[in-house]
Amino acid sequence: MRTAKAPERANVAPHSKGLNGLATSPNMNSHADSEVVTLPSATVDQRVKVIKFSHVSKRFMLHHERPRSFQEMVVSVFGLRTLSKQGVALPRPSTEEFWALRDVNFSIYAGEAVGIIGENGSGKSTSLKLISRIMEPTSGSVSVRGKVSALLELGSGFHPELTGTENIFLHGSLLGIKHKDMAARYDNIVDFAEIREFIDTPLKHYSSGMVMRLGFAVAINVDPSILVTDEVLAVGDEGFQRKCLEHIAELRRRGVTIVFVSHALEAVRSLCQRAIWLDKGVVMADGPAPEVLDLYLAFANEKHDDRLVRDQERSRSNGRIQGELDSATITVEPLYTPNETANGTSEPPALEPVRPIRITGVKFVNTEGEAVSAFRTGDPFVIRIDYKADHKVEDPTFGLALYSENGTHLNGPNTRFGGLNIPFVEGTGHVDYRIAELPLLAGRYDVTVAVTGPDMTEVYDHQHRKYGFSVQPTPGLPERWGMLYIPATWRFEPDDKEGLGISRQPSAVSNNPSQE
Amino acid sequence: MLARARQSLSYRDLLYNLVVRDLKLRYKHSALGFFWSLLNPILLMAVFTFVFTQLLPSDKTRPAFPIFFLSALLPWNWCASSVAGTLGSIVNNGHLINKVYFPREMLPLSVVLANMFNFALSIPALLLFMVFLRPNFNPTLLYLPVLILTQVLFLTGIGFFLSALNVFFRDTSVLVEVGLSAWFFLTPIIYDAQDVAGKYANVMYYLNPMASIIANYRDIFYYTDTSSPDPLFMLRTLITSTILCALGYLFFMRLSRSFGEEI
Repeated sequence: MRTAKAPERANVAPHSKGLNGLATSPNMNSHADSEVVTLPSATVDQRVKVIKFSHVSKRFMLHHERPRSFQEMVVSVFGLRTLSKQGVALPRPSTEEFWALRDVNFSIYAGEAVGIIGENGSGKSTSLKLISRIMEPTSGSVSVRGKVSALLELGSGFHPELTGTENIFLHGSLLGIKHKDMAARYDNIVDFAEIREFIDTPLKHYSSGMVMRLGFAVAINVDPSILVTDEVLAVGDEGFQRKCLEHIAELRRRGVTIVFVSHALEAVRSLCQRAIWLDKGVVMADGPAPEVLDLYLAFANEKHDDRLVRDQERSRSNGRIQGELDSATITVEPLYTPNETANGTSEPPALEPVRPIRITGVKFVNTEGEAVSAFRTGDPFVIRIDYKADHKVEDPTFGLALYSENGTHLNGPNTRFGGLNIPFVEGTGHVDYRIAELPLLAGRYDVTVAVTGPDMTEVYDHQHRKYGFSVQPTPGLPERWGMLYIPATWRFEPDDKEGLGISRQPSAVSNNPSQE
Repeated sequence: MLARARQSLSYRDLLYNLVVRDLKLRYKHSALGFFWSLLNPILLMAVFTFVFTQLLPSDKTRPAFPIFFLSALLPWNWCASSVAGTLGSIVNNGHLINKVYFPREMLPLSVVLANMFNFALSIPALLLFMVFLRPNFNPTLLYLPVLILTQVLFLTGIGFFLSALNVFFRDTSVLVEVGLSAWFFLTPIIYDAQDVAGKYANVMYYLNPMASIIANYRDIFYYTDTSSPDPLFMLRTLITSTILCALGYLFFMRLSRSFGEEI
């Protein structure tokens, strides 16, 4: 049923060829100016639509100078211009349009768990606010069937002066729930939030964790048919997060539709079977979560690489920054004025502290010896650290550390532990750290490099997470989740072979599909 | 619009809870609590009675001045606190507006009703004064519910306009502050409607429904003449208030669509 398409998915982009076709074309430039990538859904199409966005656009007016007073309103209504003291007409306050969503179309079906992903400002939160009816679209229509419960900033709707009980009933009635229905749920809520002994205390005496637990407990106990959540689960302690996620999963099993907005891609991956990727208010891809996440990751990596290149160019033109501000060229000179030599030319300013050895650059080198910034899992991979020593330094140690995008420290090798003895360095050169087959899965990684003295206490140079590379989604890879690809095999061996009806083959061994 | 109204009806528990919240919070940290609803007007009355009967005695000074004054002050207090309360009812509840969908009109409405409740609580004080100062209970007292309904409609209408406007133009609150003190003096509270010079009386009634409403309160509580208030006059005020409330509702509904992004 993979190629079957729901009738309302008629706006499928011409180049969407199904899963395999997409997975092998991670070049996102083709999407930037193009249509929606609609991945065919693997699930059945005979479902009830509970949320439907048809041609939804949402415009925000960004008033740089907001008419917040009657004077300005009168001025703008009559098309007058504010006069300055000299009687010169000042420019009218400029109003800029910002389209948070542009012609967005999608439907969400009953019982689906859908993740909405995208960078900041891509329109994710606006979509949530449209679904929960906090805002109305500028054009197009949003139709929602069923009771929406929104987990946006847990507990923010509570009043600090009211007690827990009073807040529970007030919040229930905000969601349109009758007092007696709320009374029936009261015990569940109090138990889930684990605050029974404080329930008649004003909320201002609660800890923030208690307020959050109560907020979550109320939101999920009102029998929503659609649960909308923002980044709320990013806060709270580990135990509470797990409890919430378990409960959301439980609601999912009960058939509650879930719309989940998050930057935490792993949470989206584990919770949602479908994902919608928004970029600048446009749907870039919509389909099974793993595929959409991979497309998004590839896109984000590419963007990050562009930025890295720009940063490097900027740091190369070190020393003076020139910019045009209000048509005046401003030149920022270093505060330090170098000594002028006899013939009037100046020495470059010595802003850097004196380092016996400096790391002058880090390159990521592929098989062909080219410096690139994107790799695939299983590629040969070299981190090349360029150094410069102004005079002879004996017995240095070079080291590095790999970090994932979210800051997890992956490893921290150095030349000394690695058994490489460098007697001395003088002048320039490089040190290579070579990985035969890169075990990292798709994502962005940062690199810290350092050079120290022999006992690793004297730090000559240390550049924390200054460099980065990315790993692109690799077609044919048998792994997709987590950060590491560890080549391994699976083995299946039932104790009672007869009973399972396996007689011909005593055991089945899957060979790890190797990288051709 | 009818569907809208029906939906609002299904949120009546919310209205109840909002009113209760309002009342609870008002007296949360005061020792005397609800008694302030009685004490506040009595203290004010004492001040005004002293001023008008001792400092500025004149042949115009009314007999049983406390009743004369209280019968107008109590509804006025309801009016003034409603206007001040509804004004910020949307802006100050931004944390709710931005997080949950619910009929927004419940917020100003709940302020009016909470203040009505307060007004109702202070009526016994007035009746007590009447018992001691001048026992005069007209059958016209039965008009009281009609007057209260008229005032609810009027204040709700005003509340719809002001609360929505304040979202977009925060100067509304400054203007209202000045407006309220002007309004106090332009309404027959410390003077009598009949003392208003010539043609201005009618102008006052036309432009200020609150003047009509308060004149009616005074008729039923203070004056002994059972032919006033004129039922037709009351009906006219009721109609005016209803129209104002409906217009306010439409205005509020129109603006409420963008509350979510303006707050």
